[in-house]
Amino acid sequence: MLVRIGRNWALLALFLMLLIFSLAGKDFLSLANYSNILLASVTLFFLAAGETFVVVSGGIDLSIGFVMGLVCVTSAIVMRDLTAAGASALASISAGVIVGLILSLIPGAINGLLITRFRVPPFIATLGMWGIANGLAWLLSDGLPIAFLPSAVRKIGTAFIAYHSPKTGLTLSPPQLATREDILGLARIIPIPVLVVTIVLVVLAFVLAKTRFGRHTYAIGGKMDAAVRAGIDVNRHLLRVYILSSFCAGCAGVMLVFLLNTGILTQFTSNYELLSIAAVVIGGASLTGGRGSILGTVIGVLLIGTLNNGLMMLGLQIFYRFIAIGIILIGAVLIDRSFPELLYAD
Amino acid sequence: MKRRMILVMCAVLVLAAGFGLAAKTYKIAFMPGIADPFYFTMEKGAKAMAAKLGADKVELIVGQYPATWGPDAQVPFLDALMARGDIDLLFTAPTSTQALIPVLKKYFDKGIPIITVDTYLGDGDYTKTSDYSFPLSYIGTDNKLGGEVVAAQLAVLLGGKGKVFLENTNPDTSSVMDRERGFRQGLLGFPQMELVGVEYCLDVQETAQAQVAAALQRNPDLAGVFGVNVFSAQGAHAAVAAAGLSGVVKVGTWDATATLIEALKVGEVDFILAQKPAEMGSLCVDWGYRYLASGKTLSVPKKVVPGFFVFTRDNVNSPDAQQYIYSK
Repeated sequence: MLVRIGRNWALLALFLMLLIFSLAGKDFLSLANYSNILLASVTLFFLAAGETFVVVSGGIDLSIGFVMGLVCVTSAIVMRDLTAAGASALASISAGVIVGLILSLIPGAINGLLITRFRVPPFIATLGMWGIANGLAWLLSDGLPIAFLPSAVRKIGTAFIAYHSPKTGLTLSPPQLATREDILGLARIIPIPVLVVTIVLVVLAFVLAKTRFGRHTYAIGGKMDAAVRAGIDVNRHLLRVYILSSFCAGCAGVMLVFLLNTGILTQFTSNYELLSIAAVVIGGASLTGGRGSILGTVIGVLLIGTLNNGLMMLGLQIFYRFIAIGIILIGAVLIDRSFPELLYAD
Repeated sequence: MKRRMILVMCAVLVLAAGFGLAAKTYKIAFMPGIADPFYFTMEKGAKAMAAKLGADKVELIVGQYPATWGPDAQVPFLDALMARGDIDLLFTAPTSTQALIPVLKKYFDKGIPIITVDTYLGDGDYTKTSDYSFPLSYIGTDNKLGGEVVAAQLAVLLGGKGKVFLENTNPDTSSVMDRERGFRQGLLGFPQMELVGVEYCLDVQETAQAQVAAALQRNPDLAGVFGVNVFSAQGAHAAVAAAGLSGVVKVGTWDATATLIEALKVGEVDFILAQKPAEMGSLCVDWGYRYLASGKTLSVPKKVVPGFFVFTRDNVNSPDAQQYIYSK
């Protein structure tokens, strides 16, 4: 029992944090605020899920944050230009999404080929792509936000599955409310972007835990030699893992267009790749490979998202977030190192 | 008689030489800070003033626009521009308050007067003697004053009372911190208005959005938000729109980019404080020309501050307002 609790310390920490913030922070404990936490975590969910596969395989992908920015800018440019050329909202949005997702396969393929065919260390290969992707995003966007997207983009990004207002009852589309009391009294149930990311996470969790693709990923990360002897085509598998990671970053980039209603490149100060790696490690993965899970990563992202939101609700500024996440990250690794028996208990 | 003729001819010659000197075409160079609509608009204003003064009086020469902000990108283009060797006066937006001091000093020491526009060297105070006080003038926005104007405009929209939130960006950038100081100062004039929080998004729009969403959650009666630059403003109005509160929570922003003007038109932003980059460019050429034409004796004010223009939904479509939208 103790062993089980110890292994899930991150989950415990999450519950503890929810409890503390609910008691300390005014208005933390509400449906709207949980929606805020999940919405603010959507991009990190995508990025960290892809990163989980890479870390389990024993590698690292530093390019994902800027791949997300590149896809976000490109996808938005396609939507903007098609709209300006008179295409329908449906056509321009679909084209933007498809172009963005296809584009996201390319950086991953290049990373994978560099790592498997040319034996470039993952850290270096993906660090190179980190710079290339951001440079391209700057060039494409002139460093400026891409706006003038179809108005449906904002509607999709801010949509919920259902709405309930004491005035209008349960509806599927947002009711027209005039007064502030009515707007604040409107219960909005599950944001669409959160629904989408949940589906993707369930699929990825299944792939990693239950399929041959997942087992091979663990095998390669656990012991490369053994994986080779077991007849796994390691090169081909790793190539796919880096493409998957990049594709997840692409999903994040496309989703970001809807969340922001603009195409925007990733600023250096956003540190998406580092936060993703932190979430994966807090979730119990080992940077030496062979260990980690999507559920653990989800807990890691939620921990970061809750911490961030809780600190904001307490009125503390962004600088405390960096300190707090740093402490939790180091704490996570210290717990793993201090109690190794917990990790291999089964 | 003959002697008198010679004297008259000499006098005519001297006068002609004098006129010739006065009619010299001055070459004024402009080195922008970064390729963006703000500086494109500044160039347009400078061009218009040069045309007004006359092509025989002023020739405006514009350097290549750097793709990114910073001395690494700007200085090579600046050096290329000055390498012509015939520039009479330079006006530029230094991309670093420190790194550009020796670079511009080098040209100043060659006898080329310098005006800094929009951004400045050191702390921007050229009245007291220092290693950066050599420029002729700083022509640009008073960000603190702008912050006060935003506070007043927000007060007008809110009837002088209510809770407001400030979404800022980088705490190490002088311009946006001046806007914050001005905003705080301006709010002091309205005792029933309360600043309930200040956040820094570090130029990440997604962060700004999450911060304003949290502020709305924490203060259900929040009445207004000021986003100090394009990223914080977009995050702010997106968060307000996502909460379904557009129009209920007033959003004030800074800089009349096409993106924010569009947000104003669709009702997600309530007002925009526009700087006047065209007027800045125009003032640089005007003061620069008058200084050169006076034989470099004219006393130019060390600081020239053009005014602001406040865009609201009432005036955003008026023909007169269009000149203040930043454009290529």
